[in-house]
Amino acid sequence: MNMKGMTKFVEPVRIIAVVLIALAIGFVITALVSKEPVQAYTALLTGPLPRLSFENGFEIKNINRFGNWLEESTTLILLGLAVSIVFRARQFSLGAEGQMLLGALMTAVIALKLSLPFPAHMLLALAAAMIIGFLWGLIPGLLKAYLSVDEIVSTLMLNVIALQLFDLLLFNWLRDPAAGFVGTVPFPTSAVLPLLIPGTRVSFMTILMLIAVVVVWFLMARTPFGFELKMLGANRKFAEYGGINTKRVIALSMAVSGILAGLAGAHLSMGLLKRLTINLSPGLGFEGIVVALLARNDPRWVLLAGLFYGYLRTGAQIMERSSDVTREVVLIIQAIIILLITAERLFPFVQQWVQLRRSREEVVVEAG
Amino acid sequence: MSLEVVLQSIFSAAFIATVIRVATPLILPAMGGLLSDLGGVINIALEGIMLAAAFTGVIVSGFAPQWFPGAPAWSYPWLGALAGVLVGMAMGWLIAFFHLELKTDIILTGLAMNILASGATVFLMFSFTGDKGSTSTLASARLPSLQIPFVNNVPVLGTLLNGENGTGYNIMSYLAFALVAVIWIFLYRTPAGAHLRATGEMPDAAQSVGIDIRRVRYQALVASGFCAALGGLYLSMGYLSIFQANMTAGRGFIALAVIFLGNRNPIGALIAALIFGTASALGTRLGTMAIPPQFVEMIPPAVTIAALIIYNIRRRARINAAARRFQEQTAP
Repeated sequence: MNMKGMTKFVEPVRIIAVVLIALAIGFVITALVSKEPVQAYTALLTGPLPRLSFENGFEIKNINRFGNWLEESTTLILLGLAVSIVFRARQFSLGAEGQMLLGALMTAVIALKLSLPFPAHMLLALAAAMIIGFLWGLIPGLLKAYLSVDEIVSTLMLNVIALQLFDLLLFNWLRDPAAGFVGTVPFPTSAVLPLLIPGTRVSFMTILMLIAVVVVWFLMARTPFGFELKMLGANRKFAEYGGINTKRVIALSMAVSGILAGLAGAHLSMGLLKRLTINLSPGLGFEGIVVALLARNDPRWVLLAGLFYGYLRTGAQIMERSSDVTREVVLIIQAIIILLITAERLFPFVQQWVQLRRSREEVVVEAG
Repeated sequence: MSLEVVLQSIFSAAFIATVIRVATPLILPAMGGLLSDLGGVINIALEGIMLAAAFTGVIVSGFAPQWFPGAPAWSYPWLGALAGVLVGMAMGWLIAFFHLELKTDIILTGLAMNILASGATVFLMFSFTGDKGSTSTLASARLPSLQIPFVNNVPVLGTLLNGENGTGYNIMSYLAFALVAVIWIFLYRTPAGAHLRATGEMPDAAQSVGIDIRRVRYQALVASGFCAALGGLYLSMGYLSIFQANMTAGRGFIALAVIFLGNRNPIGALIAALIFGTASALGTRLGTMAIPPQFVEMIPPAVTIAALIIYNIRRRARINAAARRFQEQTAP
């Protein structure tokens, strides 16, 4: 087997091994605190599956759990795509959280302050979310490209500003004063994403998400922009010598990534909640990172990684309801996955360590 | 009218006391982040370390009567603080280990630590107290406040030095200011400080003169874990006396901005933290008036971005000027 074939074969095995190790550590941690760890972990790992029942004719049970899985995965895949674009260009933009919030905010503005007939209203709200995501990503992109402003700090600060903007407009303009919580009135049906699977909240966004996967894949694999992203990610100096306008690519990578994060925000407001509420989903914007890492920034694998991680998150919610273990165990598993998957020298390190011990033992044996 | 009220409240001693309380949990992690950043290993996990230490301090001090039956009651907060600091240092070491030995990307490792901390604290809080929101059912200890004697009867000075109710600031606030001085002396007046800065600025050059950069970076990250842990302990054992899920609320990230805004030196970072603290205290105070507090809360991050822009424009101008001089000198 040639080298390229080798790495192609080794990478998936390594990633699967990492996931299994992380799940195993998660089980050990569960066993430490739970009285019924096996039951809890079974709920985590099989909970989201629908059950087929043949008792009174053919029937699918727990379709809502299956729906939760798809809903969760739709958001995660959009965020994973967003992160994979910037990571491919080796830009550490952490702005998905803010872009997502503003995307949701814009949908609320369009949904509640304009009245339009059905498809136009919904499409306008979606477009608004994508545009605000693009612009909110363009800011750190331009700052990095033309002024070398560190994108980690700028995106984290823009996240804070986005959150405050969100609260500002929600408290002072969009809020429904009659509601018992801080939130808007439900969106008019003309601005709600059409339902795809009855009995769930799986909506038109899931189809849009699939289209997004194809578009991002096409963008990365079949367009000059995709090639430029890859070159920039491999070596900025080299890309510059090759005649690539790296400044333009840096700025655009963050802006295009923002479009997808904005869509993820639109999914939360127009698809899942059908309104805007405070504390929309703190920290969700960072969840795209684990998806992109598992997928090695390849959009096709983002689809799979997002489904996997969405499955785990849904399973964790079911586990929390049916056992004495909280859903946060999935965050611990996620952290372990990120740590191990980025540890390029993990397996060589373990190998070295084992060899070292073996050679020491041999020395001891020879000495004895 | 309202401007007058605003100005009056800003220039009152009570307001300054509030600023110090709000800035303490920014100064401490910023000092930690500064150490690792100057060593060339940025620590994105300040947030997670604060959270983990805040949690550990509350749990250990709350369960100290059961876990350490022989220990006297006055030692409970200190046992909690010690455990919290150890957890913070362990997390710093773990980041160093993954980054330096296993060659992980330090930013992703830091993010993983943040995720780990936010998950593990809630997970463990539930198994210790049966509650996912806060540890309000647990009687945990508070770190003491220090009162400066004899000044309480002096009108302005009393409030300034001992806070509004004259009980003094939490010991962590004093520690924060002391730490700024200690770190300044360490960085600019000791050989070890010079080694740390050299490691961050020019690792190859540092190595060539015999500095063990791996060791320096381990130490820098462990030290940053120590400082960030103090900030977290202040939140749960001083500012409040309970742990709440995600109670750090982004302070670890703000601390990163504080470092950059402060031009990567301790005095600058102190000033930047006080600016953030002022804006935040002002936000709460203005909440009762016409200006929405969210608007005021937006100012510090916006200032940070503006400061980064100005810093980079000036740096670029300096580099261009140097290049021009070089060309003029070498031109025939």
